[in-house]
Parts: sequence; C-alpha cells; structure tokens
Amino acid sequence: MNIIGPDYLVFGVDDIAACTEFLTAFGLEPVNLTENGGLFAALDGTGIIVRHKNDPDLPAALPNGAMLRQQVYGVRTDADIVAIADELAKDRKVHRLADGTIETTDDLGFALKFQITVRKQLDMPAEKINAPGAPAQRAPNELGVWDDMPAKPRTLSHNVLFVPDMEAATGFYCNRLGFVITDELQGAGPFLRPKANDDHHTLFFIRTPEHMKGMEHLAFHMGGPTELMVAGTRLMNKGFESFWGPGRHKFGSNWFWYFKSPLGCNVEYDADMDKHDDSWVARQRPISPEASQMFLLQFREKWIPGPGPKP
Amino acid sequence: MELCRKNDLEEGQARGFTVAGFDRKIILVRRDGRIRAYRDACPHYSAGTPMAWKTDAYLNGARTHLVCHAHGAQFDIDTGKCVSGPCLGQSLTAIPVTINQSGGIEIAAQTEGEESV
Repeated sequence: MNIIGPDYLVFGVDDIAACTEFLTAFGLEPVNLTENGGLFAALDGTGIIVRHKNDPDLPAALPNGAMLRQQVYGVRTDADIVAIADELAKDRKVHRLADGTIETTDDLGFALKFQITVRKQLDMPAEKINAPGAPAQRAPNELGVWDDMPAKPRTLSHNVLFVPDMEAATGFYCNRLGFVITDELQGAGPFLRPKANDDHHTLFFIRTPEHMKGMEHLAFHMGGPTELMVAGTRLMNKGFESFWGPGRHKFGSNWFWYFKSPLGCNVEYDADMDKHDDSWVARQRPISPEASQMFLLQFREKWIPGPGPKP
Repeated sequence: MELCRKNDLEEGQARGFTVAGFDRKIILVRRDGRIRAYRDACPHYSAGTPMAWKTDAYLNGARTHLVCHAHGAQFDIDTGKCVSGPCLGQSLTAIPVTINQSGGIEIAAQTEGEESV
C-alpha cells in the first residue's frame, strides 16, 4: 500500500467567498473556481477543495457538522488502490468509482478517497543558505531575499484530526493502511507517516471529546524558513490573523506558522521537516509548550532603531 | 471611552476594537438591532485566543453567529454561549456597553443614569 499522503482535503463551507479570499491570499491557485467552489492548488497540484456545505455531491457531514468532508489520499499505482480496496472491503463498504478511485470511511466515520496521486514532480531548489565552514549554496551576486520574491505553498504537507478514540484511529491507519508512528506527544497523540512518504508526518491525531471530531489544522510545505516568514508576513500585512507562530517544532523539526481561516480549522505554513526511514525509533514526550517547540516568536510591525539625530 | 458611533456598526456587522485597559480586543456586534460586546477571547484554550480570521471577520457566512476561526466554534450572538465546536457550553465574556447621548457606543462605566443596551 504505497500511500504518499493527502492529495486533497475537501471542505463543505458556509462562505465560499471568504474561503476564496483566504486561500488565494495564502498563496494557493484557484482551479476551476465557480460560485460553487473549486480547487485551491499548491505548486504540485495538491490542495484544498471547497464546496458549499449543502452541495449534494459532497460526502455526508459528520453529525457535529464539521466542515471537513473528505480526505483524498494519493497512492502510487492502480495496484495500491486494489490492495487498499481489498483490505478495507473486509469490514466496510468500499465504493469503486468509474475513474478507478475508491471511496470509503475510516473507523471514526471520516470519509476517505484513494486515487493515483495528482502530485506533479517539482523541480525547484530548496532555500539556499551560506555558512562559514561549508560550501556557499548561493553563487556570487545571488541574493537571499528580494521584495517580490515568490513564497508559494509547494505541496500539501499534513493534516491533524481531532479524534475521540485514539486507539481506533491509530489502529485503522497503522494496521489497515500501513502508516507508522514516528513520534508521540503523550496527552495529545501520535505523528504518522505513510509508507511511501519519508516526511516526519502527514497525519497527527489529537484526542478530544466526540463533539470536537474534525479537522484541527492542515499544512502546506514551503521552500524554506525564509519563504515561510515572507508568506506569513504578507498575510499579516493584509490583516489576516495568526493563531500560533512563527516558530519551529521539536518533533519533525519543521518551522510553523498557523493562521485562522474560514474553513473551520487553522491553516499552517511549514518548512524544513525531518525525513525518516523504517530504522527510526519513535520518541515519546509528555505534551507541553517546551516539548512542542524549539522556539516561538511573535509577529510585529516592521521597526528600525533609527535614523537618529541629523548631523 | 467611545468605541464607535452606533451608525458605524451596521446590522449584521461585527468589529474589533483595541481598548485601553483591556488585554484583548473588544468585539462589537449588531444583530436584530441589538448591540452586544464581548472580549475577543475564545474559551477553548484557558488563556483565550483571538477569534477573527482577518481584521473584523468574526461572523459566519450567514452572519448568524460569532465564530472562533481557529477551530470553528460558533457562539450565540445574544448570549455569547458556544453552541457548536470545541468549547461547547462555555461562553464568551460579555462586556456591558452603553449608548451615550451623542450616539456613541461606550464600555459601560460604573455610573448610574446611562442607557443600557
């Protein structure tokens, strides 16, 4: 089961115009956008699908009305879809659609879809830095920042679910779909990595009461910490509101900056996440501010300690 | 201190104001002609976190509820009580406000004789 990670996260919302404003400002590209919604894509084609909550084509909402309506996972090949369908059909309905995709639900009632991934292979440099003692990554006269530098989300990175039954959630994704636990914040939940992705996590669970079930946040990978800072600063300067960050997490080592959104969850920029293979041994730490982040900063308006008295 | 003129708060509108003496913005919201004020602090987390997704964007699409846009908690505009979302059953902190003689909306002072809304 070569699951790569989320291709799309599908939302049923009550304000498509607000979601369009937010996701476009966030840096995603509207695709086939109408008044009924559309796709907001990162550079590799993954992204957020927004529809009106009453759209009859959406999978059913959770009983609590959560806006998350479906997680669409990208896999490598048709054989992976067949393997997933055969496994899950043992104890639930699996709908095989004419386009070769399959739809079902997980053990908590979250709607799932599996498809051959839409992810385009990106060919872009990571953020380049220069440091004494190491070969320079930028050529002579190559600048690190400039006013209109691009800072676009590259790919859908991960999503985090509020789940009332951690054992059921972990058991389903690990035992049935082949995810592995990379680390665990005790008191919150585990970080999960699917087999065909070496990112520290594409999925994380937070244990909550039943009435909270739904999306806690979702995140897109940026090209590096500078792009993350530039994109977040641009949002702040337009009046969008930060929830948490910028900072850098410990588990996963990824930089983070979370923004509130009209999607019913926070939306995060992340950058420079750790990679893991099957030799990694999961760590456990009790959740705390100290365990959660290496450092945490807060945005402020630009300021300069000058110009001082005139000569 | 006057936050804004009553006429500057339209029906179905919410606005946030930074007010001296308050550590969070004060949200003014007008619905069915009634004006309510709440501390901009969602009770989901104990410290209380600000709720808008951008400046003054405190309401849902139908403008029927105040919303914390971190996790979609919805609050009854009249009572401040959370009716759906993480802090179900908890409430926003209401701030008493009055309309002064020139039509300005003020945080209610602890004095008698002012119109209560």
